[in-house]
Amino acid sequence: MPSTTIWPGTAPSGCIVEMHTITHAVLMGLAGFGVFVVGYYALISVGYLFLHVLALFELREDVKESRWDPPFRKFSSPFYPGIGIVVPAYNEEATIVESVRSMLSLNYPETEVVVVNDGSTDATLDRLREQFDLEAIDAEIPFDIPAEEIHGVYRSTTDEKLLVVDKDNGGKSDALNAGIWLTDMPLFCAVDADTIIDRDALLQIVTPFLKEPTTAVASGGVIRVANDCTVEDGIVTDVSLPKTGLPGLQVMEYLRAFYSGRLGLNRINGLILISGAFGLFQTEAVREIGGYRHDTITEDFDIVVRLHKHLTEQDREYTVDFVPEPVAWTEVPSSRRVLSRQRRRWYRGMMETVVTNRKMLFNRAYGRVGTLVMPFFVAAETLGPLIEGLGYVVLPVAWYFGALDVTFVLMFFLLTTGYGVFLSWFGVFSEVWSFNRYDSPWQVLRLLWYGVLENFGYRQWKTIVAWRGLIEYVRGVETWGVMERSGFAGEEE
Amino acid sequence: MAGAVGAFGYEVPLIVILAVVALVIGLLLTVSFYITIGWSVYRSVVDERRDRVRDDLREALLERLFADDPGWEEWVETLSGTERRVTESLLDEFLRELDGGDKAQLQGLGVALGIPDRARNQLDGRGEFEHLDALTWLTLLGDPDPYLESAFEPETPRERAATVTLLSETDSLDGAGEGVSILLDDIDGQFTVFGQDTLHRISRSDPTPLLETARREYRSWNEPLLAQVLAVCANLETSVGDQDLSWLTAALETENEAIRAAAARALGSFGWRETVRDRAFLERAVGDPSPRVRGAVYEMLGAWGDQPALSVLLYALVSETHPRAVERGTAALVDRRDRIDPDTPAVLGPAWDWSVEHAEYDDMARHGSKRVYS
Repeated sequence: MPSTTIWPGTAPSGCIVEMHTITHAVLMGLAGFGVFVVGYYALISVGYLFLHVLALFELREDVKESRWDPPFRKFSSPFYPGIGIVVPAYNEEATIVESVRSMLSLNYPETEVVVVNDGSTDATLDRLREQFDLEAIDAEIPFDIPAEEIHGVYRSTTDEKLLVVDKDNGGKSDALNAGIWLTDMPLFCAVDADTIIDRDALLQIVTPFLKEPTTAVASGGVIRVANDCTVEDGIVTDVSLPKTGLPGLQVMEYLRAFYSGRLGLNRINGLILISGAFGLFQTEAVREIGGYRHDTITEDFDIVVRLHKHLTEQDREYTVDFVPEPVAWTEVPSSRRVLSRQRRRWYRGMMETVVTNRKMLFNRAYGRVGTLVMPFFVAAETLGPLIEGLGYVVLPVAWYFGALDVTFVLMFFLLTTGYGVFLSWFGVFSEVWSFNRYDSPWQVLRLLWYGVLENFGYRQWKTIVAWRGLIEYVRGVETWGVMERSGFAGEEE
Repeated sequence: MAGAVGAFGYEVPLIVILAVVALVIGLLLTVSFYITIGWSVYRSVVDERRDRVRDDLREALLERLFADDPGWEEWVETLSGTERRVTESLLDEFLRELDGGDKAQLQGLGVALGIPDRARNQLDGRGEFEHLDALTWLTLLGDPDPYLESAFEPETPRERAATVTLLSETDSLDGAGEGVSILLDDIDGQFTVFGQDTLHRISRSDPTPLLETARREYRSWNEPLLAQVLAVCANLETSVGDQDLSWLTAALETENEAIRAAAARALGSFGWRETVRDRAFLERAVGDPSPRVRGAVYEMLGAWGDQPALSVLLYALVSETHPRAVERGTAALVDRRDRIDPDTPAVLGPAWDWSVEHAEYDDMARHGSKRVYS
């Protein structure tokens, strides 16, 4: 670095000049970074506000519609398309029977439950065999399936809706592909084995396919946090806010993500993420793009982006929708270690999908998704936490060089925090005003508190997690990590 | 903190700008906090009050329902505002579940609660969901008069479906023709599943008006609506006499793959008809470039199930290259196995065995015994 070189004999005056130059450069850099951060933050904030307002309009219509119950018998109507519920299962012997029973008893006229035993090393398959009287189908599968080797396909002799596939371990995407290729249903619902689905959820999540039978390719519902909720016979019977901080903060995040982000994007037909825990897809469309990719760790994000890409390239009219009321419940990490692992995985997956589909960015050929949604997503979700994290590192440097206007920084931090809290409260308000699952004002008060709390420590910690996720992505880390679950209240020990 | 921002010749100190932003954010926070908490408390209080009286009201309602003279008018007069609202929600629940004399008895409670009068006012209003609420209540109460006496004209597909349901449920519909006309004349948009179901219900006994309207209008419909009407046709399960089905065969040759598949399913439900017996037409259909449509055509031929249809199906399956379409064809053929040469399936390979196995397990799960197909 020439600017720091000090020649013998010229040290005193040269050193001062060089030092001055370095300090000046650092100060200029810091000032530039400061302006960049403020401008960047302002842009992202306007974007989020825009999304939140759009979400409110969307929610208003959805709430009105959900409160009207048309006078006809849904179960005798032949117009609900069949849904294959694909359940990948790896070492789920403790819960698989209950999960399958719960899926089989969902309120929907025509379903098929396809459980894919993804090379479990425990007794998952035996449990299913015993409980549902499974028998192996004595015929070769007449088509190729883009998945690891399948050892057997089983049918239940007691429940015609159940199909079980036994295959070599290949990961979640691989298991989903096996299920998608083997279901006979025109739509399939991808769910995690431990996801609890509201009894009427399928009747609601299918709505876009009924309204737009020629164009709907995917729809997603709301995922809520099940920690501390009471679960009986596979149904959430009592909704409680988690008693501990970390899951509570995640409730806040989920509310904001679903009631603001996804609803807002839905308003402009720009939904690019449907949660892997509960989403409905047109089977044929997903088969057309080769199913889920095996080499990605966030297959749910990847599949929706690829559907957008493929259908736009094919010049086909299509819709991807979000329906705010069908609810699936999932247990979220309650320890910082597991949460960090999950979020790093999500970050790596997001990077992967963004990099793989970078051609879509700012590309008018991909419509609104290419020109608006993807760039905003990358700016806010991919780069946003990194820039914020960098900001926390730069602050002490600026202070060291005397370039820190402490009053300004404090004001900026308070304003950004206040704005962040406002956006979070917007999500809570949407919840209270619409479906009001957290019906006690004390719970709502606690939710509002979490909206404040997440800005002090949790938010900063997430920027570290994002940076770690980026480093892992660059290093090519591909591990999934194990989700440690503590089970639900009301379940048998 | 120094610095200022200049614009249009004015200089505003940075501190002032930040203070204004802080004020706006503070205001937004205060408002959103109080609205959220206020709304939550309000809903909680209302829900609690309603929950407190619900069980007693349910009991009282059931007691009166089974009495000789329920005395709804006198009972309703004794109820508070909250109790009336809970009674209304209980009434809604029971009317959807009960039939016959019990339902007729309950309809008197609706009148006592003033629901028909309210519905009349709602129909004069402008909101779609107000209209839908009114029409739904009138259907549940079996009382079309407020609608018949009003100047309300259904416009949206949902309003049209709710109106036809009201008229058909109260025997006020002047045949399927009137229903189809309300549902489909100059329609803008497409139906929800309720609309589709309504069209299906009124056309099941008399499909002529639907088929006539579709023949005349199908070109002007948007694709989702056409697909919905085709799905209704596919589920009519009724004889269509000598109706002109040329619009269906035309739909089978449109550009949209989903429409072509829906048309094949609709044709499948109408049986083997002279109008579609044309071999050239069938050859075009089984030669469709889309495996999804070919699969639907195979199912259509399987549904027809007569010898000429099955021979076209078998012939097509032998040369079919898409494994998924083959499987759909063999699944359609399995149900007609008794009508084909027992040696023929051998040429269909593993797809045939696969379909046979599945058909046997379907039977076993449904009936407890395995019907042997092979």
